[in-house]
Amino acid sequence: MANHFSNAAKKGLSRMGDLILPASGEFPKYSDVAGLQYLDELVVNAPKEDIDSLNLLLTILSFMPTFILKWLIGKMATSQSNPSNGFIGVTFRQLDVGLKGLVFTTYYGEKINPNYTGKTPEQLVDFKINRIVD
Amino acid sequence: MHDFIVVGSGSGGGSLAYYLTKGGAKVLLIEAGKMYRKDTFPKSEADTSAQLYWGGGIEFDKDARMGFLRTKMVGGSSIVYQCLMDRFDDIAFNDWKSESGVDWFNNQDMAPHYDAVESDMLLHTFVESERNGNARLFVDACDKLDYKWGALRRGQGDCGADKGNDCLACLGGCHRDSKQSSLVAFIQKGEKLGLEIQTEVEIGQIESNKDSVTIKGINNGKPISFQGKKVILCGGSFGSTKMMLQSGYKSKLPALGNNFASHPQFMWFGLQKEKVDAHKLMFQSVASKDPNFRKQGFKLENVFAPPISIAMLYTIYGAKHQQYMKRYRHMQCIEVAIRDENNGTIQIDNKGKLIVTKRFTDSDMLKKSKGLEVIKNILSTSGAEEVFESSLYFGLHLMGGCVMGIDPNKSVVNPDFQVHGESNLYIADSSIYPNAPGINPGLTIKSLGHRLAQQLIK
Ligand SMILES: Cc1cc2nc3c(=O)[nH]c(=O)nc-3n(C[C@H](O)[C@H](O)[C@H](O)COP(=O)(O)OP(=O)(O)OC[C@H]3O[C@@H](n4cnc5c(N)ncnc54)[C@H](O)[C@@H]3O)c2cc1C
Repeated sequence: MANHFSNAAKKGLSRMGDLILPASGEFPKYSDVAGLQYLDELVVNAPKEDIDSLNLLLTILSFMPTFILKWLIGKMATSQSNPSNGFIGVTFRQLDVGLKGLVFTTYYGEKINPNYTGKTPEQLVDFKINRIVD
Repeated sequence: MHDFIVVGSGSGGGSLAYYLTKGGAKVLLIEAGKMYRKDTFPKSEADTSAQLYWGGGIEFDKDARMGFLRTKMVGGSSIVYQCLMDRFDDIAFNDWKSESGVDWFNNQDMAPHYDAVESDMLLHTFVESERNGNARLFVDACDKLDYKWGALRRGQGDCGADKGNDCLACLGGCHRDSKQSSLVAFIQKGEKLGLEIQTEVEIGQIESNKDSVTIKGINNGKPISFQGKKVILCGGSFGSTKMMLQSGYKSKLPALGNNFASHPQFMWFGLQKEKVDAHKLMFQSVASKDPNFRKQGFKLENVFAPPISIAMLYTIYGAKHQQYMKRYRHMQCIEVAIRDENNGTIQIDNKGKLIVTKRFTDSDMLKKSKGLEVIKNILSTSGAEEVFESSLYFGLHLMGGCVMGIDPNKSVVNPDFQVHGESNLYIADSSIYPNAPGINPGLTIKSLGHRLAQQLIK
């Protein structure tokens, strides 16, 4: 499988992830749980140019000061209700969905760090479904 | 040379290929995605999105506002659909007829095709004992508010509900071959009759010859081509429109890429004190059936999704997000789907990337707000402690782009499914829908496939 994300990009995602999902109550912070080793699997069908742009952006975020990341997250959070269809509005919405997608997928589901030993977010959410095959 | 090559194996392509094969023709079914079977479907929510969906999960309109879901595998979107099977009413067919000028768009002419398709599928109408917590809250509140609701009819065999099987898992493909996807109801039966299937070929170019059609595509990075006496495109609204645009038909057919609609869905959540467990058992068994809602252009459905998708719908970050997810099992969920205007367009840019434009009209916004008023009433009558709306919304029923009609300036295929001006090139999928019916599209797509197969076999 191709290695789409640089270590710096993974660090950028972890930093954003910790701001989006900090440690809170029983929930661990994102970087404690994140299944960053699965990122490549998650983009197998995504267009190559989108992956490349995301890798570049995450790499840049890895060395940005925290207040910029917080500002960015604030913009992402309000982007869906922003009436503008201009370049800025569209870009923040794309970023919101793209980053959230990666962060939530490597936190709330099964694609988490196999070395994490605490209660997983999926267990805390108490999600279980029966797949009965016969 | 094959008698027929069907490109795309979803709701339209699967049924068409089966009926053509059953009629004795030599048929090749070409699909861009892979072949998964009941024991090889991905098992996690993450793998389902990443492996089965075009774009690696969700595709967006040009404004990055509305998400579109469509899948890439043998069976197409019918692998992940809920398989709610509804015939159109007279309102839907009359509106199709007046937009397209096609006179067989009516329930009488379509009845034999509906009958044939229904007889090839296992169908089940849900009963009271199959309602889960979310459905019970919906029904109780509708009864109190005097809103009409109805039990849904689903294509399914033995879902193992009595053994505690949760059907949410089959959103990534049914591991019991119970859900009546195109794969289960048609393609697997077709394979036994000699239907040939070529997977992982994305067709990009169509060239019409005098007595045949050549189609060219890519298979594992290498060019590949096929020639058939007749070719039928069933790539869905985006897929078929893209193939036609790439092949240069826009200059001959100005309506190509127009009339796109998608039944946009807006989800609302109510947080209940007690557990609702909306994800358990048959997670979608009832819907609104109120003639007033139909007149106003919306319907309500009880839907739900696994945690990652639900997490995506809540746009507040930080500790609040985790606290919200902590109440996953307490969530009641209702969506409003609107019968939107077909003002969307499907285009490609100079790199061949799809550009979909879909902006709401005033009438769409009115339908949405009427539906939301009703949802709020239901949630408050159900005793929800907190209510919120997801600001993300989706189109799951992608329709139009190659619409059927009698006028070549306003449509792409004629009433015989033939591309205007072509004798061997046809289209038979959701792209030919003249406008949004406001009703689940799947059964009618399959029935149109049956109609075309009958016509071609003659
Ligand atoms: C989550 C979800 C739930 C739904 N629930 C319901 C429901 O309960 N009831 C209902 O009626 N409808 C439902 N729908 C909608 C329904 O699934 C679609 O409307 C229907 O499947 C569309 O049929 P189609 O044949 O037009 O396209 P699809 O089923 O999307 O099939 C198109 C196929 O063509 C292939 N293809 C595309 N381009 C190419 C190419 N260039 N070369 C080769 N192959 C290509 C695609 O990979 C795909 O397999 C749902 C959809 C979703 C996503």
